[in-house]
Amino acid sequence: MMKKVLSIVLVLFMVVTMMASTGIAEAKSDTIKIGFFAPVSAASAAADGESAINSARLAVKLVNENGGINGTQVELVDFDDGLDTKQAANIAERLAGDRDIAAVVSGSYSGPTKVAAPIFQEAGKLMVSAYAVHPDVTGAGDLIFSQSFPGAVQATGAAVVAAEQLKATKVAIIYVDLDFGTTQVNAFKAKLAKDYPDVQVVYEQGVAISDSDLTSVVTAAGAAGADLIYSVNYYEQAAEVLRQVGMQKLGIPVLGTEGADSWMLLDIAKEYADGLYITTNMNRDDQNEQTQAYIKNYREEYGKEPDMVGASVYDAFQVLFEAMKNVGTDTQAMKEFIAGMKNFDTVTGTLLYYNAEGSAVKPIQVQLVTNGEYHFFGVVDDAQIIDPANY
Amino acid sequence: MFLQQLINALTIGSLYALTAMGATLIYGILGILDIANAGAYLVGAYVGWYIYYATGSIVLGFLGSILLVGLLGIFLQRTIYSPILAKPRTLSIIPLVAAVGLFTISSDAVRLICGPNSKTYDLKFPMEIIQVGKVTIQPAWLLIFALTAVLLAILWFILNKTKLGLAWRATAGDREIALICGVNTNNAMALSYILGYGFAAAAGIMTGILYNNITPALGEVPSYKMLAIIVLGGLGNPLGTVIAGLIIGIAEVFLSVYTKIPIPKDAIAFVVLIIMLLVKPEGIMGRRNKV
Repeated sequence: MMKKVLSIVLVLFMVVTMMASTGIAEAKSDTIKIGFFAPVSAASAAADGESAINSARLAVKLVNENGGINGTQVELVDFDDGLDTKQAANIAERLAGDRDIAAVVSGSYSGPTKVAAPIFQEAGKLMVSAYAVHPDVTGAGDLIFSQSFPGAVQATGAAVVAAEQLKATKVAIIYVDLDFGTTQVNAFKAKLAKDYPDVQVVYEQGVAISDSDLTSVVTAAGAAGADLIYSVNYYEQAAEVLRQVGMQKLGIPVLGTEGADSWMLLDIAKEYADGLYITTNMNRDDQNEQTQAYIKNYREEYGKEPDMVGASVYDAFQVLFEAMKNVGTDTQAMKEFIAGMKNFDTVTGTLLYYNAEGSAVKPIQVQLVTNGEYHFFGVVDDAQIIDPANY
Repeated sequence: MFLQQLINALTIGSLYALTAMGATLIYGILGILDIANAGAYLVGAYVGWYIYYATGSIVLGFLGSILLVGLLGIFLQRTIYSPILAKPRTLSIIPLVAAVGLFTISSDAVRLICGPNSKTYDLKFPMEIIQVGKVTIQPAWLLIFALTAVLLAILWFILNKTKLGLAWRATAGDREIALICGVNTNNAMALSYILGYGFAAAAGIMTGILYNNITPALGEVPSYKMLAIIVLGGLGNPLGTVIAGLIIGIAEVFLSVYTKIPIPKDAIAFVVLIIMLLVKPEGIMGRRNKV
């Protein structure tokens, strides 16, 4: 009797599995599914999460309105990682195990992305990271690409900007005590020590991401005699650095990173944001058709200002779309196509090429906030600096 | 720099005292470590923001939020805490677990209802930043000092000069004896919650104004830091909480600025707590020395 019941259960299981498999096969022929994750519900990253998911949806909507990928519509399978590495690992396992998913875009920070990357690599699934800066992301393997530059590139460029364009001689560094902060601080100091020994780091303080009170830290930076504050913080803390510099009447310019490239920073810091320099990958004043079209479409669709995070996510989708249009959705073919991409026009400037580690090589944009808006200030395009292979 | 850092430390210390006062009042009478008070701090900041933007008046924002969140406190006391405490031989961890649950629910509820993004108060003060030499005093800091002083004066008056306050002190001293003597301990407990949650709401709004930024994560740091402050202050002692808040504020600022102490600033409160408890296990002010 027991054997009969067991046999029936097994047969039922096989039938259900076969039906499910058939369903998958049918779905596969209908649409191209692209997996996506971003920190949508994380309070400390909510503005970035919102920009990321908005831009992912915009990219998919526009490609579908233009006929999809060679006639096949694209479907977004999106998840919220909450800026939680455990959640990111669960999402990665789920996407990696789904045969329908043709490829994945990470719209998240370094922490979740570097946890997810090895899972996709092991499962043979291609991932393009939009803006995560940690080198371990692309270091996970040959199926993992980044459409932006790693933190070390940006920070090395920042050291050049600090020394040559802003003429700083005494720099105070305030940084978030996470991979994002420490990676960039180390690269920034290394570049100063190597090429600009006259530029001193007079103060250096890491702060926890949960720390909203930076009053005493900014006071100490001012007291150290700094003529430039290098703020390697996400938008909330960068905004507080700016507010304190302004309200304590220190008169010290602030150089930020792409973490400060957010409409939310402008909203929090208000008039104190004016005068902020940032290194980023998006030049809003670029007259490139892609850039201006994205800005216009984003404003029309969401009634908000786009930022670096959103633009980078949008570009990560463009990289995938380009690969799929040219070689289909076979992972190895996509990998080889992306690795060979050259001079590809994106919202965040020209993607010159992919280096052997899978990092995009593109110029570093320097933006200056004037009258509450980010505008072009300069660009760092020295090949020795912008190719991460040189580090 | 020393004077500026001292002012910075006193500002943040005053805010800590204000933030931890609600939980202190509730511990003083019920013996509960009410983590949910950090939820009241969060909800208060958002309620104040909505009222401020609806009316354009920050005074109405404070008063409306203190009242509504205070009433929420009474509702939670009547529907959750009192029934739990009424059961015989209730383990002290049960109301603590309930409080943790309420705090988690409040954070998620705020995120779902109000959205995960920051909201900004953008409060314009009718005065400029005061600058004397290299020292600056920001208007928001003066508001914190004034608000802390006014609220503590009101608290002192209620607890020491009213019948309700007498009932609170009697209940806090020994609930059973107070009950036998005819004290309405229910009203005393309700007073704890309306004051405790009202204080938290005021502190939440003040934090939102100070940093011009509130998010659903606003209550996370206070949820554990306020524990260090109320334990350091002597568990349930309002005056002790004020002193403890100032000590923690001063310790955080001066240790993080003048030393290379390799621990996060938020952990300094607990280092101070451990050191103080080794020296004075009952906290800064024992239970016999209440306001």
